[in-house]
Amino acid sequence: MTLDFVLRGIFSTFFLASVIRICTPIIFPSMGGLVAAAAGVSNMALEGIMLWGAFTGVFVSAYTGNVWLAVLAGCLAGILVALLLAVAHLQFGSDRFLAGLAVNLFSSGGTVFLMYSLIGEKGNTSTLASLSVPNVVIPFIHDIPVLGPILSGHPVFTYIAFFSVWVIYILMYRTRLGVHMRAVGENPAAATTLGINVHRVQYIALAISGFFAALGGMSLSMAYLQMFQREMAAGRGWIGIAAVNLGALRPIPTLIAAMVFGFADALANQLGSLNIPSQLVQSIPYATTVIGLAVYSIQQRRVAIERQKKYASAHYEEAASEAE
Amino acid sequence: MKKFFDSKNVRSFLRIVLALTIGLTFGFVITLIVSDEPMVAYKAFLFGPLSQLNRIGDWLEESLTLIFLGLAITIVFSAKQFYIGLEGQMILSALATGAVAIYMPAPPIIRVPLAFLAGMVVAVLWALIPALLKAYLGASELVTSLMFNTMALRLFEFLLRTYLQLPNANGIMSERVPEDARLRTFIPNLPFLEETRNAWSKATNVSWMVYVAIGAVLLAYILLYKTKFGYEIRAVGANAKFAKYGGINVKRTIVASILVSGVFSALAGSHLVLAITERIVQGMAFGFGFEGINISILSGNNPLGVPIASLFYGYLRAGSDVMERASDVSRELVFVVQAAVLLLLTAERLLPVVQQVVTTDEEEAAQLEKGSVK
Repeated sequence: MTLDFVLRGIFSTFFLASVIRICTPIIFPSMGGLVAAAAGVSNMALEGIMLWGAFTGVFVSAYTGNVWLAVLAGCLAGILVALLLAVAHLQFGSDRFLAGLAVNLFSSGGTVFLMYSLIGEKGNTSTLASLSVPNVVIPFIHDIPVLGPILSGHPVFTYIAFFSVWVIYILMYRTRLGVHMRAVGENPAAATTLGINVHRVQYIALAISGFFAALGGMSLSMAYLQMFQREMAAGRGWIGIAAVNLGALRPIPTLIAAMVFGFADALANQLGSLNIPSQLVQSIPYATTVIGLAVYSIQQRRVAIERQKKYASAHYEEAASEAE
Repeated sequence: MKKFFDSKNVRSFLRIVLALTIGLTFGFVITLIVSDEPMVAYKAFLFGPLSQLNRIGDWLEESLTLIFLGLAITIVFSAKQFYIGLEGQMILSALATGAVAIYMPAPPIIRVPLAFLAGMVVAVLWALIPALLKAYLGASELVTSLMFNTMALRLFEFLLRTYLQLPNANGIMSERVPEDARLRTFIPNLPFLEETRNAWSKATNVSWMVYVAIGAVLLAYILLYKTKFGYEIRAVGANAKFAKYGGINVKRTIVASILVSGVFSALAGSHLVLAITERIVQGMAFGFGFEGINISILSGNNPLGVPIASLFYGYLRAGSDVMERASDVSRELVFVVQAAVLLLLTAERLLPVVQQVVTTDEEEAAQLEKGSVK
């Protein structure tokens, strides 16, 4: 009985810790997507940018032997790809969706193409001695019985991910740039009349989103695994976009949505060890995303209808009083 | 001459040619950088498909699949719906078609049509939830269709492994589609064509889906431009609010456009399993995910342009295959080229800018000339 209890305790600690770890590559693209969407330029290429981040990190770390240089290079790659999208969309008037899809196609094809050119493999880089970022052991907290294993000992990316939510919050609500971004996202024409350089703000927003998406990719290839795999983002960029939708462009709700999807992912991993067909279990995060979007849309609809009713009744009263 | 260049069709044609040229040049530059034998590689890429009969066959087979995918996207894009879950629809309908063709105890004259039908039903049903979510709740069909895509790939693997796996096979695959359900060659059985027919059916899998593809192109064209339904689709695509005031049931039109496109994706899947792979294999639709979009954009989202665009990209796909076998350059180069072309074609302001620069240069040159004459 006691043993059972203890085992369960370990099991659930382990599970909660895995939720936190697995959230990481979803939180990053969510935050990136949030900044871009807030500035009115939803980044539809998060998935592809994650691939470039993951890819660059692995290869630079393998060739230079320096993890931090690799992380820096990965972030730069992400920013560059995001700027490619920005130039196409903002400068040359590409449709946002189509340009995003083009960048994704470029990324999924380009990473495999380069991987084959560099090491002659098409599936993954397991033959390459790439590095991963260190794990962080938080002093004191690490020694607390249950909390310690849940909160401490994760890869450094996990802590950066949660920290980035705070950074994004500050950026969006406490800085000039953030106010400009939200103004541009709300009404670009009005922002222009206030003297805000709309394109410049949107360029910056897309670059920031590329930075975070690249971190998400590297948290897959340099922490979660220690190699690059083709299509390794596996829809997380899109799940990030869904999280931004669900979070209604606010950092904390977006984080919560991302964690719900991370929970579904961790659950799928956990159930994978049971005697359930793994392919069906692996569908859980994607199904959760669809359900999340549906629930959110129903709620949005309800809010809109109520607002309409209020508006109608207010105007009805107005009209009635005028008639008197 | 000036009028000729001003006409809209000529301009958009030139724009496409320019984009393709830039895309292929970009591909060549990349090949120069990564390859030890760039000339060999690019020659194989550009001329490989024509070198042997079986490669010509590969080209046409690829193009047929692309035609169906392109038509499917053309229909949803006409309604401005970003439903792009074609890979999932395609692979599930390949599974359904294949299962019926392999296991149904009926003569081929009944079995083959039913196999096609099964594929269509599955593809249409698979699109139902994203379509309804978009039309009635406004949930992004782009995200949901991609989520359904991934789920389709998992479901496909599960069903294949659990129910259809051929024992002792080296790979995840079903048994072969029986001879009598495979699609025969498109060349009619006429005495004077016998030699060609034999040569083609030995070396290639180009089946009578050629005629189905031609029919599908015409059908899609008529559907979009000659029927009330097509008018409604295009009206919703042009301006949904306006369409609503015009009395069009926008929600129903959105759902219908996505479901109808499923029929075409299903044809791609059925073609794949009955004519190309001839069995249900893991990863059979790999690399087709974005092709529908590529084709649609290259053809200007016009059904009549789809076969031309498909023949072109089918050629590049076949060429990239030859290139990978002949050199050290991977076939994924074709996706990079396609992505570049897609970016260039969707960049509305890019190629007009080039054009303007060219024309102003010409005008300036002309003025200078006049000046010098004076």
